[in-house]
Amino acid sequence: MTTFAKAILICALGLALGLWTSRAILEAGAPFGVVSIGPWRAAAKAGSLDADPYTLAVIERSGEIPLGLGEGLRLVARVDDAGRPLMARCVYRVGARAPAARYWTLSVTDRDGYPIENAAQRYGFRSSEILRAADGGFAIYVSATAHAGNWLPVGAPGPFALALRLYDSPLSATAGGIERSATPSIAREGCA
Amino acid sequence: MSAGERLGAAATAVAAVAIVAALTHFLAILLIPEVATRDAFARLSELGPVGQTIALARPSPSERRFPYADPALASAFCRFDLSGGPVRVKAAVGRAGFASLSFHARRGAVFYALTDRAATHGVMEAVVVTPSQLRALAAHDDEDNPSQDLRVVSASVEGFALLRALSELPSLYPEAEAQAKTLSCAPEPMPK
Repeated sequence: MTTFAKAILICALGLALGLWTSRAILEAGAPFGVVSIGPWRAAAKAGSLDADPYTLAVIERSGEIPLGLGEGLRLVARVDDAGRPLMARCVYRVGARAPAARYWTLSVTDRDGYPIENAAQRYGFRSSEILRAADGGFAIYVSATAHAGNWLPVGAPGPFALALRLYDSPLSATAGGIERSATPSIAREGCA
Repeated sequence: MSAGERLGAAATAVAAVAIVAALTHFLAILLIPEVATRDAFARLSELGPVGQTIALARPSPSERRFPYADPALASAFCRFDLSGGPVRVKAAVGRAGFASLSFHARRGAVFYALTDRAATHGVMEAVVVTPSQLRALAAHDDEDNPSQDLRVVSASVEGFALLRALSELPSLYPEAEAQAKTLSCAPEPMPK
């Protein structure tokens, strides 16, 4: 093989590998600037001018309008407390505490971040509308079939995600400082 | 060629591929925000002209435009273009449980955000300027009678302002929608 052909081959291989890794990394979510709190993940710098290039690239590709640091923080869970993917055939209990915030909302989304069609047309709960225990704690049941109490339906089979948004939270600028005990746990109660 | 030489040539080729791949990867990550054609700004641009207040459809399974949009929030936006001068952005504080006004640069970053807690006389208001417009405005400021305006320097000439209003209960969503529509973006005359 001539040196020229070798150089072309090396460049083509490198280009393909570089583009493939970029795509794979962005599909998996930004690798830097992501804070993990138990099953929850937050791109802590997403809503600021000093977001790292990976976080920015993920936002620009997805079309998401991020929350500003002063507005709040969005956390997403794709797994339960034990690290197993969230599946529509299982029942999950989410609770009993949420981090300090004026309001929070919890909603079910598909893997791309969009609400999932369901007969009840209920896509999420606000902190101001749920039933609570006497001590202020709460339990939200996430499942495909109806459940007593705060029931959040999962309309489609397969994996899904939970989005927790904290509005006007003192923690939004310092997501790394959120204690795991302050976030809702996601306990799998059973599977069909 | 001896076995050792062959091994050396192979190692050089692998290293060259890795270097090209790494360069491609970093270039791709840095360029994605510049070339993304389906980012939030592009998606908003499809909905209407610069300067007009446009309400976003309530997030639902059939409304797949902005991922991770909160179904509990009503929002409206207006795009601004500072090439013709500063833009005054205003929004009324209504009965929504939480409202916030955020300012987004052309490429994903949020450069400023304020919540209804920061409102004065029931209005959230800011004048969006470029760095040179800020200098021009400051040069005209009356020292004895300083401007009461909150001036926010935009990270880019084009961008958009977004008003989010939270409905405390599902039945209050129409009120949140009405509040979101109070957003206005008007050209601000420069002092002569």
